[in-house]
Amino acid sequence: MLNTVQRKMLTRRLLQTIPVILLATFSVFMLLKLLPGDVAVTLAGENATVERIEEIRSQRGLDQPLLVQYGQWVLGAVQGDLSESLLSGEPVSTTLARVFPNTLFIVLYAVALSVLVGVPFGILAASRAGGIIDRLVMVLTSVGVALPNFWIAMIFVVIFALNRSWFPATGFVSPFEDPLAALWYATLPAVALAASGMAEVARQLRSSLVETLQSQHFRTLHAKGLPFRSILWKHGLRNVSVNLLTVISLLVNRTLAATVVVEVVFAIPGMGNTIVNATLQRDFPVVQGAVLVMVLTVITVNLVTDVLYSILDPRIAQR
Amino acid sequence: MDNKRTKAIKALPPLRRRQVLGGFAGVAGAAALGGLPGMAFAAGDNVLRVRANANPSSLDPTTGGAGSDHVFLYNFFDTLVDWDPATLAPKAGLAAEWSYPDANTLVLKLQEGVTFHDGTPFDAAAVKFNLDRNRSASISNIRTDLASIAAVEATDPLTVTLSLSAPDTALPLILSDRAGMMISPTALGNDPEAVVDRAPVGTGPWSFVSWTDGEKVVGTKFDQHWRQGIPATDGIEMIIIPEDATGLRAVQSGQVHIAYQLSERQSVLVERIPTLRLVSGPTLYINQLYVNASRGPLADVRVRRALSLAMDRDAFVAATQANIGEPAFMNLPKAHWAWSEEAAKLVYFNLDEARELLAEAGFADGFDLDLRGAPDQANVQRQEVVLAQLAEIGVGGRFTNAPIAEAAGRYFGEEKQGDILLSAWTGRPDPSLTYSLLYSAGSYFNPGRVAPPEGFDAALQASRESSDQSDRAAALDTVQQMVMQAQLTIPLSVRYEVDAITAEVQGFEANLLGKPKFTDVSLS
Repeated sequence: MLNTVQRKMLTRRLLQTIPVILLATFSVFMLLKLLPGDVAVTLAGENATVERIEEIRSQRGLDQPLLVQYGQWVLGAVQGDLSESLLSGEPVSTTLARVFPNTLFIVLYAVALSVLVGVPFGILAASRAGGIIDRLVMVLTSVGVALPNFWIAMIFVVIFALNRSWFPATGFVSPFEDPLAALWYATLPAVALAASGMAEVARQLRSSLVETLQSQHFRTLHAKGLPFRSILWKHGLRNVSVNLLTVISLLVNRTLAATVVVEVVFAIPGMGNTIVNATLQRDFPVVQGAVLVMVLTVITVNLVTDVLYSILDPRIAQR
Repeated sequence: MDNKRTKAIKALPPLRRRQVLGGFAGVAGAAALGGLPGMAFAAGDNVLRVRANANPSSLDPTTGGAGSDHVFLYNFFDTLVDWDPATLAPKAGLAAEWSYPDANTLVLKLQEGVTFHDGTPFDAAAVKFNLDRNRSASISNIRTDLASIAAVEATDPLTVTLSLSAPDTALPLILSDRAGMMISPTALGNDPEAVVDRAPVGTGPWSFVSWTDGEKVVGTKFDQHWRQGIPATDGIEMIIIPEDATGLRAVQSGQVHIAYQLSERQSVLVERIPTLRLVSGPTLYINQLYVNASRGPLADVRVRRALSLAMDRDAFVAATQANIGEPAFMNLPKAHWAWSEEAAKLVYFNLDEARELLAEAGFADGFDLDLRGAPDQANVQRQEVVLAQLAEIGVGGRFTNAPIAEAAGRYFGEEKQGDILLSAWTGRPDPSLTYSLLYSAGSYFNPGRVAPPEGFDAALQASRESSDQSDRAAALDTVQQMVMQAQLTIPLSVRYEVDAITAEVQGFEANLLGKPKFTDVSLS
């Protein structure tokens, strides 16, 4: 599938991810250690002696120097061992294998909605640039970008779950168990997450398309007698595809981060809820493991985007 | 490669606007239609769904440490003694009856025909195994609860005799708590050091099915339960939703039948929602200031009294609990059988008297306190009210916050950090246990490990020597007056249970312990 230049580009990008992963996990590790609090005191429970607290610190390796603790975690992670939750004792990899697909499903659903709604509106606005429809789309998308996800989520719950009972107010069903029920449960959170995405896709596409359609190249196509429809659909969209891809890849990464709040609002057992609860309880291994998975996801999205760039515009791979 | 791709793209028919819009409409339509089959989410499957507010710490009653665990444990475990929800007076549980043939002996007569979920018969040997495990296994967190038991003997298959090291009439109610929850010895492999924290096997109304951390705990009906017609539902699902607002939405939308321990502020919302019913009532949960009486100015009882007199408890309830609840004048709510009118008179709001006491103690210009607490929104709000009220008598200070388990560990444990901890006492089924745990000289919850007032131990012991409730109340009255005069804790407010239930729920009531039981709940 990939030519030599593309393969070289991919290898270079993969090598670049190693310091990124180390830097991200190290930063999170140090930030967690800066938090006030000592999980050993919590684990020791009532009536604990200082000796018992020390014993717990020693058992969990919490008495080791910070760099040693981080090094041990990295060594384990490289071998696929993300350690265990300090509180429940469940292997972190088991927890993440359970919750990550839930988050991924909602993110993909939200991004799909953003594209399915944003692209038609962007084209509509660009094809009537300066007209009433264009202005209307711009006003609507400004609102979409401005409103916070959690607020939209709350409003949707009140209207579509509590008043109309069209959708569930909380909860989640795995797409592997029941795909239809999974879609139904994930619709409100996905729409809440997608509101700003739809607006962003529409705005970015409209602006790129308007710029492209006003270029000399397109004036020439017009002068040659090509109908506007053909210019727009056959040449215009292809020219803005790289821009659109950039917007979508950024959207995936941003939606992933936005799930933290939306998962709490909808009680979805996903990465966001897991990170929030683990941080509040100082469950470091869970937070570290979850952050690693998030970082890997973002890196994968960026890599896929790079590969797609090089397919859409082979000049990019040579840079 | 590039040429091939270009050709392939050119070979595609041109995409037309109508096709794009049509496709979008199709997807939207399919999504809408796709939603319909699953819409019967509130299915009439006779499974009770309850919103729980925290993941359990453990499903083994002996090893768990969180007060929020009981609501899960009651589903899988019966207790030797049960209690009346309104008064907490003891009543028959797995022990059909009990008696004290002499002051140092408690005899339990067990129910007949009871089996554990795994088919193991419930008998005196199983009770002996459990009580011995609870009072002596190294993994037990409840050894102190059973400290008065010297020996346990299975006198016959349905009789258990407890030899006590001292008279202890508080034991029946202690056996209505974790210590009285009976686990199948077979499930533990007859090893007292084994645990069933992820796979509980008891005699309770539902047998354990699964526990997904942070998501739900599921049980299915135990057909051989010893009480006729219990449980009335085919299963129970405890759905863990820590956030109160999300919990209320879950019950409002009908996805769960019960949401318990909502915040006081939400009671107004529950009353406004026509499909919900509010269940509310006092609990043993007391918001209070724990005072380390071994530190600085707090070693002087006049200073401790001054701090208590500076607390406007009515204002505290109004500001922090939306007026749902009651001011606390001791470590028990008004509805409790051992509530003492005389002890309550010792605790009141009087700023002038507070200032005079401070001046007498040599702190007319006030002083600063090192206060500890938890960082959540509700606790921070309480802290602000406490600081504002202390400022009225010139006492300043600042709160250092940490997750409550840790803040408590540092305050009560050997580190002894902080002068005062703003937290809560979640109560114990027997009030004598509350007083011994809070005020005994060596008790963990007495952070300064200071000696209690003279005569405290004798008065407390007297409360455990009679099994007559009025005699016990009189003995506890003396205890309560002593500790409120010494002001080793400063009670602030009583928390009320705030539960929302749907119209289908029958037989659910709030209880004084503040830990809901669903055993008698049915769905109409």
